[in-house]
Amino acid sequence: MLFETIAKIIAERTGCDVSSVKPESTFAELGIDSLDTVELLMSLEDEIGMEIELDQKVTTVDDLVKFVESKKQD
Amino acid sequence: MIKSEICELLSIEYPIFQGGMAWISDGSLAAAVSNAGGLGIIAAGNAPQDYVREQIKVARELTNKPIGVNIMLLSPFADEVAKVVADEKVEVVTTGAGNPSKYMELWKSAGIKVIPVVASAAMAKLMERLGACAVIAEGGESGGHIGEMATMPLVPQVCDAVKLPVVAAGGIADGRGVAAAFMLGACAVQMGTRFLSADECSIHPNYKEKVLSAKDRCTVVTGRRLGHPVRSLRTQFSNDYQKVEYDSSVSDAELEALAGGALRLAVQEGDLKKGCFLAGQAASMVNKRQKASEIIKEVADEAEIILKRASIWVK
Ligand SMILES: Cc1cc2nc3c(=O)[nH]c(=O)nc-3n(C[C@H](O)[C@H](O)[C@H](O)COP(=O)(O)O)c2cc1C
Repeated sequence: MLFETIAKIIAERTGCDVSSVKPESTFAELGIDSLDTVELLMSLEDEIGMEIELDQKVTTVDDLVKFVESKKQD
Repeated sequence: MIKSEICELLSIEYPIFQGGMAWISDGSLAAAVSNAGGLGIIAAGNAPQDYVREQIKVARELTNKPIGVNIMLLSPFADEVAKVVADEKVEVVTTGAGNPSKYMELWKSAGIKVIPVVASAAMAKLMERLGACAVIAEGGESGGHIGEMATMPLVPQVCDAVKLPVVAAGGIADGRGVAAAFMLGACAVQMGTRFLSADECSIHPNYKEKVLSAKDRCTVVTGRRLGHPVRSLRTQFSNDYQKVEYDSSVSDAELEALAGGALRLAVQEGDLKKGCFLAGQAASMVNKRQKASEIIKEVADEAEIILKRASIWVK
């Protein structure tokens, strides 16, 4: 679920096809830089209704999914 | 007299910051600007903590007005310098080239006012949430490390995104720029390039000369390939760099090595071949050698006249 939400936001941002966003895709491959990441998180917060403070480096989409899931549990 | 909420917030007279400039804005320049009623900012750049402590001391001896320190987040010494500014309780910390989240608590608990440089509306929002007291919206016209957005569209969008006071930077070098920034919703400005010609700015005479003789199309952006674009004056260095930047046979590491130390060569040795002379698009508007205090007064006086006259457009 979370993966689909993130993939959709990435596809909207970068104009790529949503099916080309894979869990193992790196943000660099997707053309997402650090400023884009901040925007991505803001959109994600709106979608899932919680604040996310990214305090570690995420390289792939799956890293981000795992990070957000761990925060949801706290 | 030009006044805004930033003046009360920081106890300064003019809503004008002298932006931190690595290797360049030391304790003497910052003190001169603060003494003139603006906010002088010492740049920590890539320097270790001893240098920063020393420059804060120099500035404190020259002025009892508030001063700022700029922390370049890409610096290998960012962690130690972050602690120094908290120990020394400088009034203001500005941050460049990244996201200062991890230091915010430390600085806030030391009573420091944190004003991050942002290059996007989302970053401004994030900084507001973390407790910044204002943000500097810096457009890509500026000298040094730059973002992709230009000042004109960036400033109003940042103003819409946050409730904090917004300081406009990038391409502002005279009273017209200041007046325009206020029209866009900012309540203060930060200038870097204009202060390069200040008497108290102790860059190599060749550097000053290059800025004073620059024309409008004299700057170029290099380093996009490595993800850290930088605006500087067109020189032998920038030409050589541009030639290899998009040559795939040159590795990223080689490219990185080519730029290493180039700013120091420009600032300290005035090396016209290998030096990287950072400056913004407004370099060609910098035409006189002046005291920092004269720059501040002149720019503020010009802005005042323009802003007073602005109502002529309303019929
Ligand atoms: C020579 C030079 C060095 C700079 N170094 C830094 C720096 O170390 N950290 C930072 O946040 N900004 C740095 N900047 C940006 C300035 O603080 C300021 O925001 C910018 O110069 C404003 O745009 P302007 O050059 O058009 O006035 C630098 C700018 C110049 C011209």
